[in-house]
Amino acid sequence: MGEFLAIVVVGMGTYSSRALFIVALARRRIPEPLLIALQFVAPSVLAALIVSLLTDGQGNVAIGVPEVSAFVLGGAVAVKTKNHILTLVVGMGVYWLVRALV
Amino acid sequence: MSVDRSVARQGVIDALPLFVPAIPFGLVLGLAITESGIGNLIGWSGSSLIFGGAAQLTVVSLLGGGAAVAAAVSAALVVNSRHLMYSAALAPTFQRQPTWFRWIGPYFLIDQLFALTTVRLGDEPEEFRTYYLAAGFTFWTLWQMTTALGLLIGPVVPEEWNLGFAVPILFIGLLVLGIDRWPKVVAALVGAGTAYLAADLPNKAGLLVGALVGIVAGTVAERVRDG
Repeated sequence: MGEFLAIVVVGMGTYSSRALFIVALARRRIPEPLLIALQFVAPSVLAALIVSLLTDGQGNVAIGVPEVSAFVLGGAVAVKTKNHILTLVVGMGVYWLVRALV
Repeated sequence: MSVDRSVARQGVIDALPLFVPAIPFGLVLGLAITESGIGNLIGWSGSSLIFGGAAQLTVVSLLGGGAAVAAAVSAALVVNSRHLMYSAALAPTFQRQPTWFRWIGPYFLIDQLFALTTVRLGDEPEEFRTYYLAAGFTFWTLWQMTTALGLLIGPVVPEEWNLGFAVPILFIGLLVLGIDRWPKVVAALVGAGTAYLAADLPNKAGLLVGALVGIVAGTVAERVRDG
């Protein structure tokens, strides 16, 4: 039940962030500092999220040669091709390959 | 009526290629739901209740990873706070729309739809509305189907493939594609570094600490860049 509630709350929060200015504050301008800060939400959250996903329940970050190789090469493919499917294929491929080798 | 129909068709056609990058995302999300142990139906309900892949993936994988509900929820909400920018950008256009559409429209406002509509802000209100709803509903339908497909694939994939690692790979892709200047690199590195140092905080709180410190660092770097 807690899990379902979590999803409902995230749903309401997501809707609110999309609706806030359209429904309620259409004539308000977002303060400039907030606008600047919002641009850094995506990179910092995604980077922190990646670390968090590799952290186990005891707070140990499980990152080794296979993970780093996959991130570097997958990231390079993303920059070069802007293609998510290719990024995923190369990233997972490198991960499996290096994991089998080391 | 015929104008409406051709505009609607255009919305559907424009949405299709933009959905392609979301396919692996939807499949991985479905997989993540089956691995999280929160139950397929509950996890999948997020596809319609949230209708935002990154936030849904965040809340599902954090809950599956043993995070507290409050931590998973706040992380997902931070992930989706970027939608405030879309809301602000589209607000003037929506002012010319009827109230019902001002309430329903934001529900569909995902990254791809925002990208599509930015070039149609000058359309007649009715034309804009038709296009927006047609494209939005196309994304919505395909998203429900793709995530459901991921649920079916999940149990078939052998455990030792560790396909869950596809989630951080996808996030790496999203991360590097969003970087257009060095202050964002600073935000990412500081965010990751802080999350690493704070990894042993309970309930995965290190994620939020890392995100907030990263945002501050990026903002400061931007100040330095602009002199």
